[in-house]
Amino acid sequence: MTELLEQFSSELAARTAALQGATAAIRRARERHLSAIVWRPDVVVASEQSLPERDEFELVMPGGTQAAAKLAGRDPGTNIAVLRLSQPASPPVLVPGETQAGALALALGADGTGGVSARLGLVNLAGTQWHSVAGGLIDRRIVLDLRLGRAEEGGPVFSAAGAFLGMSTLGPRARVLVIPAATLERIVPILLKEGRVARGWLGVALHPVAVPDALRETAGQASGMMVMSLAEGGPAAKAGIVAGDIVLSVNDAAASGFRRIAGQFAADSIGRKAALRVIRGGNLLSLDAVIEARPPT
Amino acid sequence: MSAVPQAVPALVIRVLVHVTDPVRREVLRQLVIDAGHLPVDSPMDADAVLSDQVHAGFAAMPEHSGQGLFTPRELEVLGAIGDGLTNKMIARRLEISPHTVKFHVESLLRKLGARTRAEAVAKAREHRLSNTVEL
Repeated sequence: MTELLEQFSSELAARTAALQGATAAIRRARERHLSAIVWRPDVVVASEQSLPERDEFELVMPGGTQAAAKLAGRDPGTNIAVLRLSQPASPPVLVPGETQAGALALALGADGTGGVSARLGLVNLAGTQWHSVAGGLIDRRIVLDLRLGRAEEGGPVFSAAGAFLGMSTLGPRARVLVIPAATLERIVPILLKEGRVARGWLGVALHPVAVPDALRETAGQASGMMVMSLAEGGPAAKAGIVAGDIVLSVNDAAASGFRRIAGQFAADSIGRKAALRVIRGGNLLSLDAVIEARPPT
Repeated sequence: MSAVPQAVPALVIRVLVHVTDPVRREVLRQLVIDAGHLPVDSPMDADAVLSDQVHAGFAAMPEHSGQGLFTPRELEVLGAIGDGLTNKMIARRLEISPHTVKFHVESLLRKLGARTRAEAVAKAREHRLSNTVEL
């Protein structure tokens, strides 16, 4: 029994040591840092939500050497930010792999001085694809049953076999999520090339409301989305939408749930028409907007 | 059974409140001193650390079941309650009868699971923040 535990422990330590070359620390103000993945010899990937709004960064690479990096792009939709190193590093090759609920996951972070920090937990949940509140599509919903320090966010997560599962990310109530390797593979090349990920934009803030009883028959549905605010000069404002309108449908997709209408605003929607059916002052109106690219935030 | 008075050692809880705004920080510090407490300066001295920088985390797009949604009129009444108006004042503002206002307020409290108007306003704000999506 003791042997088995020792073996388990030394295997984990060996794996951590072998993979620590994939973690780097990005310096923040006041002695703090956040973790990042050395994705390719000259490319570093980090958690967008925690990365300061800057163009140039100072990194502490594995082993403790300092490195400079420039921002290549960021995408709040998938929480991915990409930096380009001024001097190439020599990270281990990350072999992407799959996981399932109940499997072990090893989450690595950078300690800020060139060393590594490690966390072990179960894959609490391994579900299907999901949309973030910022509209990005994440290939799988992976939740880990472990705690993560603020400075450890953005590091790589591995399976027991050493396969690369993705980047650790703090979710609501400090839940630890993984942005899957498949999502990184999809988004990082776009960010390196374009600096951002284009998404369709209507320029409205929507809140679900119940359609008043008297209008339910006319509307043909029990709920819609009330326009709480409009972006000045945005597509919806140009189409004549005003605050207080209740959107019933967008291009025949009923506005009964956010995910249904979010599907209408993928990158290929830019330039296309959004046919909006709305209730205003008890009357049904049809207005056409032209979907634009979401402006940088 | 009667309560037996016991010698209880004074319970000391040191809370560090991390406030980013220097003006608010100074106001808070003065309040702590005025209340007869001793301000602490470093996280090392505190048993608990609170922060005004809420880290919301990377969240999924919210989805609702279609149940318990407010009607546009209920949202208006909720806004008026938030402005501190009485039922009578709300009736005047929205040009409806006080009886109808009372009906809406009762429906709002029920949907929010709130007992008081203040609780309803607080819960509604939270609900609105987590259920508004920009497209």
